[in-house]
Amino acid sequence: MPLPLYYFLSITAVNVLMSWALYLPYRVTNLHFIVVANMAISGYTAAYMVMNLHIPFGVALLAGFLLGGLIGYVVSLFIGDAPTFAVVIVGFTFIYITRTVIENMKVIGGTLGLFGLPSIGGSPAVHRWIIIAILYGLVLLVGFLIHRFDHSRLGRAASAVFVDKELAASLGVDIKKLGMLVQTFSCTLAGGCGVLYGFIYRSFHLDFFTFHLVGIYMTTIFVGGYTTLWGALILTPILYGVPLLFPSAIQAWRIVIYGAVLILVLVLKPEGFITRRRVASIETFLSRIRKKRNIQ
Amino acid sequence: MRKICSVLLLVLLAAGSAFAQPQVEVKEWTVPFLNCLTGPIAAIGEYLEWGAERAAFEINAAGGIKGKPVKVVGVDTAMDPQKGSVEMAKLVENTLVALGPVPEPVIMAAMPIAVENGMMSFTATTSYEYAVKYFPWTVSWFPPTELRLGVLVAAWAKQFSDIKTVIQFVEPYGPWPGMADAHVKGLTGMGVKVLDKVEVPSDAVTFGPLAVKALDAKPDGIVFVCNAEKIAKIIKELKSRGWTKMDHLLVFSSGDAPELYSTGGKDVDGIQVYNYINPFVDNPRWNAFKAAFEKDHNGMAPFSLSPNYYDALYMIKEAIEKTGVTGDPKKLKEERKKIADYCANVKGFKGIQFNWDMKDGVPTNKPTYIFTIENGAKTLTKEVR
Amino acid sequence: MQVFLAQVINGLSVGSIYVLLVTGFNLLLLVAMIIHFAYPQVVVFSMYITWLVLRLTGNNILLGAAAGIAASVLINLLSAPLFQKVMAKRGEVDINATMVMSMGIGMIITDVLSHTFNKGFPIAFPEALAGRRPLARLGLISIQTGQVWSLAVGIIAVSAFFLLLYKTRTGRAFRAIAEDPNGAGLVGIPLLSTGLQSYALSGILGGLIAVLLAMLLGSASPGLGEQVAHKVLAVSIIAGLGNLAGGLVVGLLLGILEAIVQGYISGSWSNAIAFVIMLVVILAKPKGLFGTRV
Repeated sequence: MPLPLYYFLSITAVNVLMSWALYLPYRVTNLHFIVVANMAISGYTAAYMVMNLHIPFGVALLAGFLLGGLIGYVVSLFIGDAPTFAVVIVGFTFIYITRTVIENMKVIGGTLGLFGLPSIGGSPAVHRWIIIAILYGLVLLVGFLIHRFDHSRLGRAASAVFVDKELAASLGVDIKKLGMLVQTFSCTLAGGCGVLYGFIYRSFHLDFFTFHLVGIYMTTIFVGGYTTLWGALILTPILYGVPLLFPSAIQAWRIVIYGAVLILVLVLKPEGFITRRRVASIETFLSRIRKKRNIQ
Repeated sequence: MRKICSVLLLVLLAAGSAFAQPQVEVKEWTVPFLNCLTGPIAAIGEYLEWGAERAAFEINAAGGIKGKPVKVVGVDTAMDPQKGSVEMAKLVENTLVALGPVPEPVIMAAMPIAVENGMMSFTATTSYEYAVKYFPWTVSWFPPTELRLGVLVAAWAKQFSDIKTVIQFVEPYGPWPGMADAHVKGLTGMGVKVLDKVEVPSDAVTFGPLAVKALDAKPDGIVFVCNAEKIAKIIKELKSRGWTKMDHLLVFSSGDAPELYSTGGKDVDGIQVYNYINPFVDNPRWNAFKAAFEKDHNGMAPFSLSPNYYDALYMIKEAIEKTGVTGDPKKLKEERKKIADYCANVKGFKGIQFNWDMKDGVPTNKPTYIFTIENGAKTLTKEVR
Repeated sequence: MQVFLAQVINGLSVGSIYVLLVTGFNLLLLVAMIIHFAYPQVVVFSMYITWLVLRLTGNNILLGAAAGIAASVLINLLSAPLFQKVMAKRGEVDINATMVMSMGIGMIITDVLSHTFNKGFPIAFPEALAGRRPLARLGLISIQTGQVWSLAVGIIAVSAFFLLLYKTRTGRAFRAIAEDPNGAGLVGIPLLSTGLQSYALSGILGGLIAVLLAMLLGSASPGLGEQVAHKVLAVSIIAGLGNLAGGLVVGLLLGILEAIVQGYISGSWSNAIAFVIMLVVILAKPKGLFGTRV
């Protein structure tokens, strides 16, 4: 696999997964920015385990998921049904705390960063295939899980909460439990992504996990569409990949273009490019084609 | 599940076709420079690029490298590790040697790719602590921080017999805390007591509380290890609270940037700064460099890191000429190694300001300088070796 | 004691920055029902315009200030139709749509500033505006002109806007349009002109804040807006969205807290500690310390 393709694919997969990590809590109106902190916490922890404690990567990755999930669960006990603003503040708080702790911990590199993570599988080529396999396996698994969630009673409950929290509660939706579920899942996912993100680069630096990432994932959800999982899946490679192909004169204005696209989409298509209606019409179209084939 | 797989497959196929790279015959020496041409430090990126392009201009005017012209190609990383890694991955397929990346987060994301593929990339503006992780596929432009800075700061303190206690303002970024620790070693070695540092938050916009904290400790001297704009503002705060001994304030090299002067104005007159480039050196190459920089930048004196990539490109030229590198794509792997091996142990390299040797990728005899700022410009106070 | 007093005064200075920005932020919330996350970036843009005009006019402060105010008003008026379009539900603050919209505006402003003004380097304001000598000094205590003006204007602005919005017909009209434009139209409030006036008013405040920040900070950089945006949002939430008086109190308290932590504990922990305290407050009182006004 060409190297640029590997980096493009692996980073795209992380961005898709992290956009989904934000998408899921947003189904119940939570802007769950804590996921960026989860990436950093699990990532650095797993790196320390691999480099200093010589724990196998697979175990460290699992630990990253579990740690993310644990943090998400504990935090959700307090903010499972909190207003959107409280969830936003929690996210900011964790990002600041995480950065400060990492800055001051020399054992994980401090401000210098953590270098020289080993290749998984003994060679760089095997390492890359393993990372890609794990990432795209996760994309399929998480995509499947979110798809099932969206088409289940829980998903319908989440939609009700999104539209009107009080009405949803009066209809018997347990807002807190639903909030805890999506927040815990999202943090678990973010924890694993953080580990994989660092192992893509084989190093960790504080500036890999900044508020800038929040902006990227928010843009993906809102431009791609925040009502279905397809928006993040389809838009992420476009939003990340297309600018890489621009001529340098246009690349210089990449961020302005992102901002303008974000504003335009919000104004013209507030639900994003890929909406439920569009997905439904594509599904109908595809099923008509299948029926025609069956008849023939 | 099927839908997800099919969408994914389509996306992967599209991406794959976008990254196909055809082989091209070499007619010129193309040296990509992974740089921050956009983003928060775009201006500094421009100064660094200018240095490399100036070298290319001179080299081409003198006949090129082995008769072929050299071209520096700016590759923007926008200070984004995600972008930096993809750009480096594109380069390592066919590139003989590269410049950059800049700055540290992008180095960490992109240099492992260069190392894995055995391609040299000159990280000429980062500290030894970063560069050493990627040997032999880069060289360090600076000696180890601990060895270099202790001596330098001690030389500063030695000028003033009344400096018995020093406090540092330290911003938690990259190698800066390590540099502050090196200062401590140098100062304590000469019997100066270093008080607890004052940490400068990266997003601080006012500095009164930090200035009061520092002054309350009653230091005789102060060393600044933070961003240039913050240094200027802290100095203003110190002055507004009665600090008068301006030469008892020392700014570290990374703080010697245009913002120190533009934000500080007259308030930074009298302070001392250490750096590796001496604008008062008198030689034809430096004079021409200086004049050209001033012409292209509205009279502004050369940025202290601009000569680094100028020298880096000349080092590449020397390596190519002395090792018989041909630029033949079929010999890419071995010729990359030749360049790396040569540069790691080059002797008597003629830099734009001084000659120096490399030993296993580390420069051995580079001078450093202490300057005093007067009327918004530096004057040489002493050279430290 | 002198050190403590000096830190409290420093804290009031830092706090006045938050107060000014939160007041503008809350004003937009009250008159237009939008969460303008990028309001600090708009203010920074106005600072840059002020700087540019000062350079072009040989440091004519009046012209510079007027230009800054005009820039802020213009941006507000230009973004008004965009915000109005995205607001799906009236009578309720749609944090998500307006916040994301304003993030887009913020991204554009920050990037334009880093490309076009002063090659992306920080700008420094002339001494005539920023001042060099302190107004008063006693040991470690130093009071600058900019600090006095910022704090004074912050308090006056909060009081004035409170009176305007809650005690005058014009203010009631602004709030009526923000909460229910259909109902406001039915009772005869001219929607377009009143709506534009409300945006223009917040723009004027933004321009004034830009001039005050120029005096207080003496310089600006493209990233300045982003650096304070999180805290401005947090202060507004902790105080209670739209609560002008609450924003004043919490803004000043946050400034003092930061100064005390930086002065007595550690600079690098000041953000983390401040946010932890804010987190505890918001969990205990989700509608803010002083209650929301929207």
